Amino acid sequence: MLVFIVRRVIVSFFILLAATFVMYLLTANAGNPLGDLQESRAPNREALIEARIRLLNLDTPAPLRYFIWLKGAAGCLVPFAMECDLGQNLQGQDVTALLGVALPQTLQLVIAATVLAMVLGITVGIVTALRQYSSLDYTVTFSAFLFFSLPIFWVAVLLKEYGAIRFNDWLADPSVPIGVAVVLGVISGLFWMIVISGDRTRRLTTFAAAFVASAGALWLLSETRWFEDPGLGIIVIAVTAVGIAFLTTALVAGFTYRNVLYAALASAGIGIVCHFALASVLDDPSGLTIVGLALVTVAVGLGLGYGLGGLQRRQAMQAAVLTGLGTGALLFLDRLLGAWDTYSDQVGGRVIATIGARTPNFDGTFWEQGLDRATHLILPTIAIVLISFATYTRYTRSSMLEVLNQDYVRTARSKGLAERGVIVKHAFRNAMIPITTLMAFDFAGVLSGAVITENVFGWTGLGRLFADSLRAVDPNPVMGFFLIAGTAAVLFNMLADIAYAFLDPRIRLS
Amino acid sequence: MSNPSTPDPGPAPGAAVAADAQGMTVVARTQAQMVRRRFFRHRAAMGGLVVLALIVLLAFSSIGFASVPGWWDKDYWSIATVENGGRPTLSVLPTWLGGSGMHLGEHPFGQDNVGKDYFALTMRGVQQSLTIAFVVGLVGTFIGTLVGATAGYFRGRTEAVLMRFTDVMITIPLLVIAAVLGRRYGSSGIVVLGLVIGLVTWTGLARLVRGEFLSLREKEFVEAARAAGTSARRIIVKHMLPNIVGVIIVAATLAIATAILLEAALSFLGFGVQDPDTSLGKLISNYQTAFSTRPWLFWFPGVFIIAIALSVNFIGDGLRDAFDPRQNRVRD
Amino acid sequence: MTTPGMPIGAPLPGPGASGGPDQPAVTESAAEVHVATKLEETAGPGEKEVLRVEDLTVSFPTDDGLVRAVRGVSYAVHEREVLGIVGESGSGKSVSSMAVMGLLPKSARIAGKILYRGDDLLTKSAKQQRALRGRKIAMIFQDPMTALNPVYSIGDQLAEAVLSHEIMPRKQAMARAEEMLGIVGIPQPKKRLDNYPHEFSGGMRQRAMIAMAVINNPDVIIADEPTTALDVTVQAQILETLVQVKDEVNAAIVLITHDLGVVAGMAHRVLVMYAGKPVEIAETDRIFYQPRMPYTAGLLGSIPALESGGAGSRLRPIVGTPPSLINLPKGCPFSPRCPLATDVCHESEPALAATDELGHVAACHHWDKLADVDDPTVYFRTESEAV
Repeated sequence: MLVFIVRRVIVSFFILLAATFVMYLLTANAGNPLGDLQESRAPNREALIEARIRLLNLDTPAPLRYFIWLKGAAGCLVPFAMECDLGQNLQGQDVTALLGVALPQTLQLVIAATVLAMVLGITVGIVTALRQYSSLDYTVTFSAFLFFSLPIFWVAVLLKEYGAIRFNDWLADPSVPIGVAVVLGVISGLFWMIVISGDRTRRLTTFAAAFVASAGALWLLSETRWFEDPGLGIIVIAVTAVGIAFLTTALVAGFTYRNVLYAALASAGIGIVCHFALASVLDDPSGLTIVGLALVTVAVGLGLGYGLGGLQRRQAMQAAVLTGLGTGALLFLDRLLGAWDTYSDQVGGRVIATIGARTPNFDGTFWEQGLDRATHLILPTIAIVLISFATYTRYTRSSMLEVLNQDYVRTARSKGLAERGVIVKHAFRNAMIPITTLMAFDFAGVLSGAVITENVFGWTGLGRLFADSLRAVDPNPVMGFFLIAGTAAVLFNMLADIAYAFLDPRIRLS
Repeated sequence: MSNPSTPDPGPAPGAAVAADAQGMTVVARTQAQMVRRRFFRHRAAMGGLVVLALIVLLAFSSIGFASVPGWWDKDYWSIATVENGGRPTLSVLPTWLGGSGMHLGEHPFGQDNVGKDYFALTMRGVQQSLTIAFVVGLVGTFIGTLVGATAGYFRGRTEAVLMRFTDVMITIPLLVIAAVLGRRYGSSGIVVLGLVIGLVTWTGLARLVRGEFLSLREKEFVEAARAAGTSARRIIVKHMLPNIVGVIIVAATLAIATAILLEAALSFLGFGVQDPDTSLGKLISNYQTAFSTRPWLFWFPGVFIIAIALSVNFIGDGLRDAFDPRQNRVRD
Repeated sequence: MTTPGMPIGAPLPGPGASGGPDQPAVTESAAEVHVATKLEETAGPGEKEVLRVEDLTVSFPTDDGLVRAVRGVSYAVHEREVLGIVGESGSGKSVSSMAVMGLLPKSARIAGKILYRGDDLLTKSAKQQRALRGRKIAMIFQDPMTALNPVYSIGDQLAEAVLSHEIMPRKQAMARAEEMLGIVGIPQPKKRLDNYPHEFSGGMRQRAMIAMAVINNPDVIIADEPTTALDVTVQAQILETLVQVKDEVNAAIVLITHDLGVVAGMAHRVLVMYAGKPVEIAETDRIFYQPRMPYTAGLLGSIPALESGGAGSRLRPIVGTPPSLINLPKGCPFSPRCPLATDVCHESEPALAATDELGHVAACHHWDKLADVDDPTVYFRTESEAV
């Protein structure tokens, strides 16, 4: 295994090296870096041109210039020991410094979105595979194709208009007219009717129930002016937490043996108690406190599972931890929404942002700042998720269908294993093996996806740096961007190979 | 819909015997017939085919192509006075439904801010998108097949060199390399842009074809051809490629869909088609800020991009189902 | 001496049949002889029925029409009995057993009765069916290379079979798995528990499958072509293991195969299927020596014999292919391929009916013609032979 990894690292390194060479030549050829100066009428034109030629070593032919660049870049391999030098941009700023500023923004943008797209896409893919040829399957398949075919910038413009500008306008006087509530209720009814398929009676009841619940809830929320100061409230949190407990139990163990459920419920219960017990701590915590609380949650979950799990200790521990974290996330969300009112006042009612990663010069409590980030992240995240989600859904669906056809799935059923075990244990893990490759590609590609997203939403991340520099024929930042994107691509491909070996014991030995 | 799990119902008695007796040609023909039949039964794919055909017809007949004039009396470069705020005059709602009747009007898709006819502009954009997609698909498929087939057939050092090169190219994200190339060649016209993008979009197909070739070259009929002294070129072209034509066609279709979106993205970023020419992505980019005031400038090119990409994707899906019906069917 | 067209040197005693192997064993026949002696030593079938299938029909709607895979199968299996089901692929033998297991796809239309100790499985809820599956009725599949999940260890997959029906500490289930691996003849079972399927040979995997099938002490084991995918030398070992394990847990076996040689040494009774229907049921001996259905006779004629000389060494294959299950011909489905077919055969499909011996039923209008000759395969004589 170690030999396998070492070999993989060495090969990857040389591939990356060759890729930077190709990229360097292409970039050097992309335009005339002296173009703007040659057209300028500045009196010191000649001197400026001379300075730039020296700055970019333009007197050296491109293939040789690459090695000058490489010499500086080699310093980045050994942190602290050597100086990492990726050259300067046209303005003479160090590229490493530019990347240092841009990288965190990009990571913020893409990590959450990619993880979300992955989780949603894989879940939906599995469900549609299990319910092949249902109306849900057809709807999801059509949506996936539609999302595939959407240009992300087009979606982004729509999101900005409807998700931010008009939504903020509406927030100024948030009331849902009864007609709109009815229409949204019908849409929700249709949605649930498709999700919960069945015979005609069941469809109609589902539609009616969803319609009444959604339209009623909207009307109620509108009447109580909920939208002016949204929040979950402890009752909603408690009910949802219990729901999470049941869901995780259903996934990891089923209900034949009750101890797992008890552990999960206990975990949810402790979470609710903490809502009150930790109220003062959570008024304005630091990020570290939140991380600490999450760790405590995991520990408590493990303890509960161990103590209450009985014969299914392992499953109980999983269920308790997952439920605890889910409940924690609910409490977090509730607190975040709690800051809505004051935050909205501070930003003049324009809650959902269209541009940038933060409100400039914004200062507030932990929750207000968190909300500020969230409101800036939400639209670009939706845009990215929409596109990646479709890919994950399609791949997971076909991979899952392939696996469900396998003999060992039939064997698992013939043992009398419950359908839950057949899907979660036997089919899922095998279906995930090809998906790891997709994940690697997607993670690596997401950085280049950021080029468009950042440009539309005005984030000053890596993608923006790349596009702006390329437009200005500024080679070093372009190469800096590629170094990061290429390294990510190579790294994630390598990780995929290792994950592959981890998931599939057949690879592990060879 | 679903395939039953009857243990090998087997082909119809007559077909099997006939195929055995007359050799490969009979099988190939029946397979092609089955593929065609499955494809024509795929409703979404047929829908996609019809929509795509209509769009192609509309785009190339309306404003003409190259020096051939079309039936639409306006062009996409002439500046005119903006009438009625540049609003679209297209109307599809008949009078008896409360609309103003079905007619195209003077400027069916409206006018842009200098009064150019937006219908003509959009049609030009569609032409550009289709052209680039076609060129990219053709070039990418050709190179990908060539590299993959050569690597998979000859193995050894040839394979090592070609596949390492593929690995290198695959490391560079498509949008990044396309943007860099677009920056250089965007102003040289759509066909050149398509050619250079095609030069970098073959990597996935090369891997796919190589994989197929690796398993094919072990098959008896290839061994037999080799034993008979057939040349490598002939074995590859006559014996092996026909067996994976399905894989290639499906990949090519999807590459075309990707290319359409890629061109749009490049033009949106400013690295694609350059002034005075236009493309769908460029139109959206130009008028994204006008969305609140003149939304039609944003909607028309967007709808055409989606319609084209969606049609091509559906056609690709239909082809995949037709060539490999196993993929989407559950046996038990 | 040996009936012409019989499997090589096969005296083939059924249960309780007199006369052991008196023939020098040739290659793989050794296994059959050996297993046969084994079977003689085993406890004979009991009186009680464990499984009864009544008028089972299964069909699948497809684009091209309704595929009638099983068209009315009835049989009973008694405690500790080995029932062989023989037929070509497409005869419905596998589908009918998958119906018993409740493993057919949802699109399948199933009718009839499947009684396990008197309870109809088809009327039970999915949950009740699942509780019986793997615990009372277990199954062994054809291809051990694909029937085990490649990503979980053998021990894990065996223990899972136990844990699906009984909540117990994992350790205990693993101990049971280890014990079963020992019983099916896998050396060093404790070490082997942690192995993955790809570290096992084909024969060992099939042993592991047998262990998995019997780990909950089932009453019935359905073995669907358990040796077809294996090397000839391994086949015999696996059959022997199967018989041995059957005694260990006192189970009945439904042995599904297309290979008459396999049932010869194993089964007490044999059911022959053709085009979704049973066409002959009899004790194993009768099937081999006095078949009363031309299709069975044809099957016997299709087995190559190793002894040289005489007409018996010639293959006498059945011409043609089985009918399409979508458009069955009128009359007896075997009539297009049957050398005995007359007008009546093309007109009406014969039902299973009693023949010249008690308990021997066959679906043939002309079974008596087979009773008239010594060598029933004689009707399948090829042209060259006739000349």
